Amino acid sequence: MAYPGYGYQGQQPYGAAQQQPPQQPGGYPQPQQQPGGYPPPQPGAYQPQQPGYGAPGGYPGQQPGYGYPQQQGPPGCPPGIDPSVWQWFCAVDADRSGKITALELQQALTNNDWSHFNAETCRLMVGMFDRDHSGKIDIHEFAALWHYIQQWRGVYQQYDRDHSGRIDANELHNAFNTMGYRLSPQFSQLVVTKYDIQSRRTLKFDDFIQCCVLLKSLTDTFKQKDAAMSGSINVSYEEFMSMILLNLIV
Amino acid sequence: MAYQQGYGGGGYGAPRQPQPGADQQFLWGVFQRVDKDRSGQISCDELQQALSNGTWNPFNPETVRMMINMFDRQNKGTINFQEFGALWKYITDWQNTFRSHDTDNSGFIDKNELKNALTAFGYRFSDYFYDILLRKFDRQGKGNVAFDDFIQCCIVIQTLTSSFRQYDTSMQGRITISYEQFLAMVFSIKS
Repeated sequence: MAYPGYGYQGQQPYGAAQQQPPQQPGGYPQPQQQPGGYPPPQPGAYQPQQPGYGAPGGYPGQQPGYGYPQQQGPPGCPPGIDPSVWQWFCAVDADRSGKITALELQQALTNNDWSHFNAETCRLMVGMFDRDHSGKIDIHEFAALWHYIQQWRGVYQQYDRDHSGRIDANELHNAFNTMGYRLSPQFSQLVVTKYDIQSRRTLKFDDFIQCCVLLKSLTDTFKQKDAAMSGSINVSYEEFMSMILLNLIV
Repeated sequence: MAYQQGYGGGGYGAPRQPQPGADQQFLWGVFQRVDKDRSGQISCDELQQALSNGTWNPFNPETVRMMINMFDRQNKGTINFQEFGALWKYITDWQNTFRSHDTDNSGFIDKNELKNALTAFGYRFSDYFYDILLRKFDRQGKGNVAFDDFIQCCIVIQTLTSSFRQYDTSMQGRITISYEQFLAMVFSIKS
């Protein structure tokens, strides 16, 4: 326990963006392992949740007359990019600009219940993977983001112990705990209450990612100020305001 | 200047000086037009469609949600006609504030105008802090802040300041907070 105040146990800091994605416990095949990029007939209950698989409207391979082999996605797939990821990228890049915005990204990402990702999480994702600060992401950034989300999906499923497809406050508390955060059960309650706009007392996949990423970045910010690792900080008004604003997704 | 209208979608403008008597009747007319599904309640979506920020971009959904939450006394996620009256006044007040600080009448608030506005509200921040604010609330990437983002910016500052004050009981301008208190403060401001 290098950091008693926070309970970091030398685990991978969950939510660290590009650098250290959460460890996926495995079991869910990555897109590149699937022939043709079509949804594999998985028995798993979560098969339809994988972004890009069978989501209505966004699957160019299903449209007649494209004139390319379905297995390879639209032509022009850059080397090193999974064709199914390329296929998705092209499907949401409506204006064919080679870059997608947070709004276009929203069309590509879905929750368990087929709802699209919320706008905030998409902005958060674009902010994390948009290395040149253009506000948009290209195919390479998209591929990294896609991989990151797949890993989060594994984490989400792992903590959704009752396989309800949603994470409740108890499950969230366990998740935080396992990730190395020592926080009270009340904190998880607060998070669920705040994120759950549909009053179902649970977190959707996109909200789960969002709050884990926020938790990680706030913890980093806090640690920077807490040089003595005492678990509490003394800050001025403007320091306080800046600390929070910089981490806020608006 | 489209932002003056507030209700840009339906093509009816905000009242400049509503007459006391005609007020309710006027509001009722507006309410009915915003309440597209005739449920007697206005949802976030309905309100968002009715509001204009002076550009073709949709009104900031976070601002809409914040405002609905503020006036939705029964926590149902929608507002009724009575609550709408209070919300309408709130938006009109924000319009007037925005307009009075948009000194060059550009329809946007730049860094200097933002500084003047927040200083007028009684806040004292460094220049560096205004850079952060601008970076955060310039959603359209134009180097300035639109009407909807301005409201969000002010509400966030207001909320954070009052959280800070709760801990700063001796008014020192400094607080000591624990890790979980800090996290809870941030997660609480999510609307």
